[in-house]
Amino acid sequence: MSPTRTSTRRGRLATATGLGLAATLVVSGCTGAQAPQGAEGAEGGGQGEGTMLFAGDAGSPTFTRNFNPYNSTNRKGAFHIYEPLTVLNTVDGESTPFLASSVEQVDAQTVVFTLREDATWTDGEPFTADDVTFTFDLLREHPALDLDGVWQRLESVEADGTQVTMRFAQPDVPATDIIGGTVIVPEHLWADVEDPVSFANEEPVGTGPFALGDFGPNQYTLVKNQEYWQADAVAADELVIPASNEQLDLVNNGYDWAYAFIEDVEGTWVSANEGNTYWFPPGGTISLLPNLTQAPFDDVDFRRGLSLALDREAVADAAASGYTDAAPQSGLILPGQQELLDEEVPDEGRVAQDADAALEAFAAAGYTQEGGQLVGPDGQQATIAITTANGYTDWLRGVQEVQRQLQALGIAVTIEQPQPAAYQQAVDNGDFQLAMGGFGGTGSFYRDMNQLLNSEFAEPVGTTAASNYQRFSDPEVDELLGRYQAAVDPAEQEELAGELQQVMYDQVPVIAMYYGGLWGLFSDAKFTGWPSEEDPYATPITYDSNVLLIDTNLERAGS
Amino acid sequence: MRYFLSRLGLFALTAWAAITLNFLLPRLMPGSPADAAIARLAQNGPVDPATRAAIEAQLGVPTGGLLAQYWDYLGNVLTLDFGVSYTFFPASVASLVGSALPFTLVLVGLVTVAAFVIGTLIGVLAAWRRGSALDALPTLSGSFLAAFPYFWTALLLLFFLGYTFQLFPTSGAYSPYTTPGLNGPFLADAVAHAVLPAVTILLTSLGGWILGMRNAMIGTLGDDYVTFAEANGLRSRTVALRYAARNAILPNLTGFGLALGGVVGGSLLVERVFAYPGVGYLLFNAVTNQDFPLMQALFLMITLSVLVANFVVDTLYGILDPRTRR
Repeated sequence: MSPTRTSTRRGRLATATGLGLAATLVVSGCTGAQAPQGAEGAEGGGQGEGTMLFAGDAGSPTFTRNFNPYNSTNRKGAFHIYEPLTVLNTVDGESTPFLASSVEQVDAQTVVFTLREDATWTDGEPFTADDVTFTFDLLREHPALDLDGVWQRLESVEADGTQVTMRFAQPDVPATDIIGGTVIVPEHLWADVEDPVSFANEEPVGTGPFALGDFGPNQYTLVKNQEYWQADAVAADELVIPASNEQLDLVNNGYDWAYAFIEDVEGTWVSANEGNTYWFPPGGTISLLPNLTQAPFDDVDFRRGLSLALDREAVADAAASGYTDAAPQSGLILPGQQELLDEEVPDEGRVAQDADAALEAFAAAGYTQEGGQLVGPDGQQATIAITTANGYTDWLRGVQEVQRQLQALGIAVTIEQPQPAAYQQAVDNGDFQLAMGGFGGTGSFYRDMNQLLNSEFAEPVGTTAASNYQRFSDPEVDELLGRYQAAVDPAEQEELAGELQQVMYDQVPVIAMYYGGLWGLFSDAKFTGWPSEEDPYATPITYDSNVLLIDTNLERAGS
Repeated sequence: MRYFLSRLGLFALTAWAAITLNFLLPRLMPGSPADAAIARLAQNGPVDPATRAAIEAQLGVPTGGLLAQYWDYLGNVLTLDFGVSYTFFPASVASLVGSALPFTLVLVGLVTVAAFVIGTLIGVLAAWRRGSALDALPTLSGSFLAAFPYFWTALLLLFFLGYTFQLFPTSGAYSPYTTPGLNGPFLADAVAHAVLPAVTILLTSLGGWILGMRNAMIGTLGDDYVTFAEANGLRSRTVALRYAARNAILPNLTGFGLALGGVVGGSLLVERVFAYPGVGYLLFNAVTNQDFPLMQALFLMITLSVLVANFVVDTLYGILDPRTRR
């Protein structure tokens, strides 16, 4: 090696070190200068009186600009911009007309939506029946956009003036709310979109209470649509929606409306700012799904034994920090569905822990206690694997409580926690013994039960099922569901709902445990009239058209 | 020359192996992208049975056998076209990586360089003054901090400096009221947001450099040529830096090369804790959502840059240390 090369090398090394040092100095220099400004972030975005700081859309960690209302990956702000014909309140199953002014259920297979004539798109074009037929045609042509499967229920959509007549493929009363919930897009803008499936719709034009303001990867704003057909009902002038809603941000930044599960809500959210309130209504039932294709879970006595062995209150406390209650075995979500309650189901469907009754049921299934162990007909201890998704800590705490309770009766319980996608695959394919899973919460007891119990969805083990993961199959229940689907008369609906509650209670197709919550955090400081236990006109959900119910019900505080 | 050619051949071989593994590994994970999407939706509420079909149609289930997919994939790698992300559908993988990479390169890159330079200099000092307080303090505190898990340091800093004293923003890379670009307010804001993540990475990585340098240098200080240099009456600074340190820096330099290669991978845990929109966070999203296109692009970028860094270090070694060429 020659001397010159040696010196060059030394030179390079020195330069590199020098650069590194300079970079270090730049970094630390800036740090010093900027430190005092750091607290700025705490002020948040809610400056004006009519400005609402809204944690209703989570960037991960930043926003991609996509306001296509039919993408599941879209910006949830799209639901303040676009309106459907009707919006369903899933708490009590009541629908509120939006772009429809009235809805008439002609018969079990026909519904007529009369459209509002005073609605306009935010670019000034009038809203007409053509937009509605265009939207439904769009969904028929592109099944990838049809997230709610309206064309699995519809046969035809015909417009006549302001009346749109929908014919269903079969008698299907519950389809009305699903079809009415379809978000309508403007024909004059969407007709030219080449591929609506991958269309990011960066400049959304809707009929709803808000229009897109500024958009950035860290935050976007929605500004009030002054021409909105019920502009008087909209209290907020602007929604500010930041991308980052880490829990510290929620407590720090003074949000007006947020949606998040938060531990110790009284000590964190409520105590953070004056006027902070919350409402955590039940949004579905968290249950243990038994694999009905496998012994011993195919035996109703064994399932009854499991159900009787559980202290559901303790499971609810462990899993949901006491925010939600134990769930009845009937499948109802109470108190929202109180009026469907069947009086013949004992104790509102609640099953109390009863070790003796549980052992009796296990004995009927051939399992008896021997030396502290529950032993089956084969002389082996009963062993159960419960599958839950990795990272769902609330479910895990619930499962651990279940494990403790079942072990007390002598059942060996193991817990399997694959990653969420692998968990979903195991559940889809029937590759589990007992699995954690939710059901219900659609706002229609028929839909809740149909998804859970209809044998149409019970694919064979090894094939992907989209629902009814426990593979329940009973021709009588299918027949009940068919009649419920066709029932127009509320009295008949109620009677059939009662029979389904009996099925849930007697056959234990799933073991209902506790309610999954919806996590609404509100502040009364600037806006009042949030949905609550006393006035459950909507759920706190921020990621679907439910937000329209809240947008149009709030009032300025002090007004 | 043969040395460099053989290095190059090895590099090409490992690159091909990495590219192929990169294709296979995500596909060995249980669960499909649709499963991941359904699981995510089911956390929010009931999912209609019809939704699954719509999502599968939206994402586009991969067509053709594994071999055909592999062929397509090789073509995509060569043209750097990684398609559309599943998680952020319909955003392209290129645009997502493009927006995350600058934040990671600046934050993790600068901090890695700074940690190496500061750590190595402290290590030199500690070894030269071994046994004194100048040695004990950095050595002890360095090993203490290095033993801390990244995320724990991050959470502590976040809680005290971000939440309790509110000195720094708790999340994000810049606040919404600034426009990204080369303007003063944005840069100031971005630096304020980078302080906590930067300090976290610096604190936890400094110890490794200090200890590595100190221990290597103590070894060289005992060597005959150092004693000889001292005996010849050279100034102690000259002996320390130009003789002992220069020979002792080789292992640290290797580590530095690899660390630089790893910079593009970001710092997953730190970015996650501070909701920092870098490559680490993007990778986290890709993996948890079975986002094959995004995962492939990121893993490829990370493995290739580590390979390139490795190759560069190997080559440098060949120049720095003639013995390795044999």
